[in-house]
Amino acid sequence: MRIQDQFRDGLITNNPITVQQIGMCATMAITTSLFNGVGMGLSVLIILTCCNVVVSAVRKIIPNEIRLAIFVVIIAGFVTIVDLLLKAYIPALSESLGVFIPLIVVNCIIIGRAEAFSQKNDVKASFFDGVFQGLGYTMILVIMCVIRELLGSGRFGGGLIDVAKGFRFTLDGTGGGIQIFPSDFGASILTLPFGGFLTLGVVIATMQYFLKKSAKQKKAAEEAAAEAARLAAEQEED
Amino acid sequence: MKDNKIVQLALVLFAVCAVVAGVLGVVYNITKPTIDRRAMEKTTAAFAAVLQADSYEEVKISGYSLDQSINSVYKDADGSGYVVESTFSGAQGNITMVVGVKSDYTCSGISITEHSETSGLGAVAASPSEAGVAFREQFIGVGEGVTVKDIDALAGATITSTAVTNAVSTSITTVKTIEGGAAA
Amino acid sequence: MLTNILSIALGAILIDNFIFSQFLGCCPFLGCSNKVDTATGMGIAVVFVMGLASAICWVVDTYVLVPLGLEFLETLAFILVIAALVQFVEMFLKKSVPSLYAALGIYLPLITTNCAVLGVVLLNVQNHYNFIESVVYGITGGLGFMLAIVLFASVRERIDFADYPDCFEGFPIALVSAGLLALAFMGFSGMKIF
Repeated sequence: MRIQDQFRDGLITNNPITVQQIGMCATMAITTSLFNGVGMGLSVLIILTCCNVVVSAVRKIIPNEIRLAIFVVIIAGFVTIVDLLLKAYIPALSESLGVFIPLIVVNCIIIGRAEAFSQKNDVKASFFDGVFQGLGYTMILVIMCVIRELLGSGRFGGGLIDVAKGFRFTLDGTGGGIQIFPSDFGASILTLPFGGFLTLGVVIATMQYFLKKSAKQKKAAEEAAAEAARLAAEQEED
Repeated sequence: MKDNKIVQLALVLFAVCAVVAGVLGVVYNITKPTIDRRAMEKTTAAFAAVLQADSYEEVKISGYSLDQSINSVYKDADGSGYVVESTFSGAQGNITMVVGVKSDYTCSGISITEHSETSGLGAVAASPSEAGVAFREQFIGVGEGVTVKDIDALAGATITSTAVTNAVSTSITTVKTIEGGAAA
Repeated sequence: MLTNILSIALGAILIDNFIFSQFLGCCPFLGCSNKVDTATGMGIAVVFVMGLASAICWVVDTYVLVPLGLEFLETLAFILVIAALVQFVEMFLKKSVPSLYAALGIYLPLITTNCAVLGVVLLNVQNHYNFIESVVYGITGGLGFMLAIVLFASVRERIDFADYPDCFEGFPIALVSAGLLALAFMGFSGMKIF
C-alpha cells in the first residue's frame, strides 16, 4: 500500500469517524473548545501510532487465540502512560478531558486498527496508518470544535490561544481565545450535549454528500468512457 | 496436550501484563513527584484565594454530624478561620468549591474548583471574567442562612446560583458545628 | 444514606444520563438501536454487566490496588476484569440459563468495548463511592442506558418512514434524532431529591 493512498484513506475515504463511524463518544463529548479537540486528537494519534507499531512488531510471536487480550493490555499500557504524562505536564488538559483519556482504551479506533490493519502489515505501514488515521480523527475533532465554539460562544481557539496579553499560545487552559462576536449572541445550545449530536450529524452528512457526489461523477465518467469505447469499437467494425 | 496449551497461553498473557505493568511503574515513578506538586499547588492556590493564611491543617470531620456535601475542612494555623471544601449538585453535574469562613462566621471568599455547568450560563460562576468575579465577590461577608434571594443570581443560571449559595451557607453551618464541638 | 442512594439513582438514570449527558456508550447506542427488541436485549445485558463490573472492580480497587499503592494500574486492571467478567458471564449463561443466553448472547462480547462499562467503574473511583453506592451507580447507570437506547430505537423505527435529505442517510439522521432526545433529557437537569 502506498503512503499517498494511506494518507487519503485516513483523512477522507476511510476516515475513522465519518466513514468507519467508530469512536464517537469522545468526539461528541469533548469537542467544546479547540484546546480539548487538539489535545484529545493528538493523544489518540500518539497512542494509536505506538500501539500500531508495537502490535505489528509482535504480530508473529503472539498466539492467535489470545491476541485480543494482548492488544487490550498493550493499549491500556500506552493509554495509562499518556494519562500520567498529561497529568504531570499538561494538567489543564487532563482535567478538562477527565475520564475520556482513560476511556481511549475502549475507543474502537485503536483496537479496530490493531485488528484490521497492524496485525497484518509490517511496522512501517502500520506506523503511517497510525499517523494518518490519527490525523483523520484529529481533523474531524478540530472541525467540530471550531463549529461548536464559534457558533456556540462566538470564540475561536478557547484555552489554546491567549489574546489578553498579546497573541500567544498557552497550555495551561487559561487562554480566553479570540472573541469573534460577543458570546451573548452565540447559540449556546451548541455547547450542550444536543450540539454534540447535531454537529456530528451535520458533519457526517456533509462528508457523505461530497463522497456520494464524487462517486457519482466517477461512475458517470466511467460510463462515458465505456460508451466512447463502445462507439469507437462500432466505428471500427464499420 | 490441551492443558499444556492453556498453561502456555496463560503464561504468555501473564508475561505481557508483567512487562506492561513494569513499564507503567517506571513512568509512574517519574511523573509522580510532578503530579503531587501540581495537586498541592492547586489546592494551596484555591485556599489562598478564599482565606489568606500561612499554612492550613486538616480538621478531622468524621466525629461530627455534618451535611453530606462536605468533603473536608481545613483550619488556618493562626486561628483566623476555616476553609471548607464541599460538593453540591448544580445544573449539569457536581460543583466542587472551597469556601473560606472567618472566625466571626462570615464568608471570606469562594472559589469553584470543579464543575461542568453550561458554558456562558452557569459556568460564569467559575470563570475569571468580570461577571464571574462580581458574582463570587458578593458572597464576601455574608453569614449563615444566606439564600439565593439575598444575592444577584446569574441570569439564566438559577440552579447554579442556588447551589453555590447553599454551599456557602452549609459551609458556615459546618464551621459552627465543629467549633461548637471543640468547645464542648 | 437512603437519600444519597436515591439521588445517585436519579442522577444516573435521568439527570446525568450516560448517553445524553455524559456521552458514554455511544457506539452500541448507535449501533444496536435499529429495532426495539435488539435495543432491549442490549440494554438488559448492559445493566447486568455494569452492576457486576462495579461490584468486582470496587473490590479489586479497594482491597488490591489501593493497599499496594498501584492506583496507576487502575485502567489496565479494570479492563482486564471487565473482559474476563464478560467472558465468564457468557460461559455461565450458556451452560446454566440457555434461554437467557439465546436472548443476550450476541450482545455480550460487544459490551467489553462499551465505554459506559469502563466509564462507570472509573467514575466510581473518581467519585469515591463506597461499595453500595458503586453498585447502585452501576445498575442505575445501566438502567439509564437502557431507557435511552429503547426510547431511541422506537424513534428510529419511525425514521424509516420519514422524508429526509439523501446525504443524511444512516448515521447522520440517527445522530440528529439522538440530539433531539438529548434536548428532551435536558429538561431533567436540576431535578433533586430533598
